[in-house]
Amino acid sequence: MLLGKQQISNMFLAAAALWKANTGRLGDIDARFGDGDHGVTIGKIAALFEARVRDWRDEPIGDFIRGLGEAIMEIGGGSAGPLYGSLIGGMAGALADERGIDGPLLKNMLDASLTEMFELTTARVGAKTMMCAMIPAVEAARAAPGDVAAVLAAAAGAAALGAKNTENRIAKFGRARNYGEQTLGTPDAGAVSTALLFEGFLNGIRQE
Amino acid sequence: MKMKKFINAPENLTKELLEGFAVANGDLVHLEGNRMVVNNKLKGAGRVTIVTQGGAGHEPALSGFVGEGMVDVSVVGDIFAAPGPQACVDAIKLADQGKGVLYVVLNHAGDMLTGNLTMKQVKKEGLQVLKVVTQEDISNAPRSNAEDRRGLVGCIPAYKIAGAAAAKGLSLEEVAALTQRFADNMATLAVAVRGATHPSTGSMLADLGEDEMEVGMGQHGEGGGGRQPMKSADETAAIMLNGLLSDLSIKNGEKIMLILNGTGATTLMELFIIYRRCVELLKEKNIEIVANYVGELLTVQEQAGFQMFMARMDDELLALWNAPCNTPYFKKV
Repeated sequence: MLLGKQQISNMFLAAAALWKANTGRLGDIDARFGDGDHGVTIGKIAALFEARVRDWRDEPIGDFIRGLGEAIMEIGGGSAGPLYGSLIGGMAGALADERGIDGPLLKNMLDASLTEMFELTTARVGAKTMMCAMIPAVEAARAAPGDVAAVLAAAAGAAALGAKNTENRIAKFGRARNYGEQTLGTPDAGAVSTALLFEGFLNGIRQE
Repeated sequence: MKMKKFINAPENLTKELLEGFAVANGDLVHLEGNRMVVNNKLKGAGRVTIVTQGGAGHEPALSGFVGEGMVDVSVVGDIFAAPGPQACVDAIKLADQGKGVLYVVLNHAGDMLTGNLTMKQVKKEGLQVLKVVTQEDISNAPRSNAEDRRGLVGCIPAYKIAGAAAAKGLSLEEVAALTQRFADNMATLAVAVRGATHPSTGSMLADLGEDEMEVGMGQHGEGGGGRQPMKSADETAAIMLNGLLSDLSIKNGEKIMLILNGTGATTLMELFIIYRRCVELLKEKNIEIVANYVGELLTVQEQAGFQMFMARMDDELLALWNAPCNTPYFKKV
């Protein structure tokens, strides 16, 4: 399977739909140890996904993704703006003017995204941040068989597990850090939204 | 629970508050783009200019201090959320009048990410910019680990020092060095007794029992350790004052600035009662308050509580603090 404009559009639309359905839950998780606005921010980024897909004319996939990343940076959502802007925009780092993406190229895109994230944050697995979902997702994608569906399925599975595992971690970053051991038992809102992003991408290629 | 706030659609909060703020203070500031509050006298100012950034919902901070002698451009994100880096790069370009820009960033996760991305970009473009980070909350990290300290009300007197240094015609390096010296010698401790509602979501921030207070809370009432039974004004004043004196190692005979910043729902009556006790305690220790402020500078919606701010002062910093300024929410003649 090759991901063209249609499939990439479906991926972002499906991710937006899943995010929108979960804004309340993300807000509730964030309100426990953060400032409660992660659902609002994720809702804004989801709306941006939809608007950008709607306005996508004929530019190559790389240009579309780069432009989307830059727009997310400016969403005004605290740390989620620069972080998701880098996660999405960073994927364009592996792209020139391709019109279709195969499994190996998709792996390179996820690698490029992770490299961009590493420039921005020192958080790693265990720190109870979105990186607890992102890092295993990219590692699983790298190890997956070559097909795009297998790559996304591996990434989505690992991200979901990574997000679940944050329940057993003590927050080391962001506002939640100040609560220390009280954060045990609650997942990290950013890790949950990252897992939903990969799940949404996977949903997107399953619909035709 | 339903919010009792006079708002319209939650997604328009920041836009509407900025519109209102700008027309209410049109003699001093105006809006540019959709998220920049700009000093009306910026254009042609032959001096270093001051740019800052931060979330909304903390009024009058941060944009209430845009004007002559403090901040030239403030970039607003959304409620409690930092703006993006491109907006800050644009603000720095707008602010630059040929003498360079001092960029003041409060230490919060989102603001720091944006601050770092902004500095990367302005360096790439060859702009003359120096960044000062305000990080003075003594409750969430020791002084030796200042990078983990959050930025609270201390950014506001820091703007005053920076703006006055810039108005004197000092170079960017000198303005930055003075601001940094002030920032290195400041400390804040906060206490919360009742939480705030996030105005976009209606969710409660912090959950304190009827007879509890929490010392050390951060900007939004996040927890941080010092939860204890509610105390009297005099007892609370002593706990907080001693925390700050000890963090800054202030000795007998030194001169300080003392600010009591109400965070939204604590009355001026309470703040004056606490301030009075602070003065008595400092007199006993032979420590002189040479600069002060009691009131609301940086709020957190209807959170009840206050931030106590202290800084070590010298004659040079005091002259800068006393220099004239004219902004919507802070004026000196």
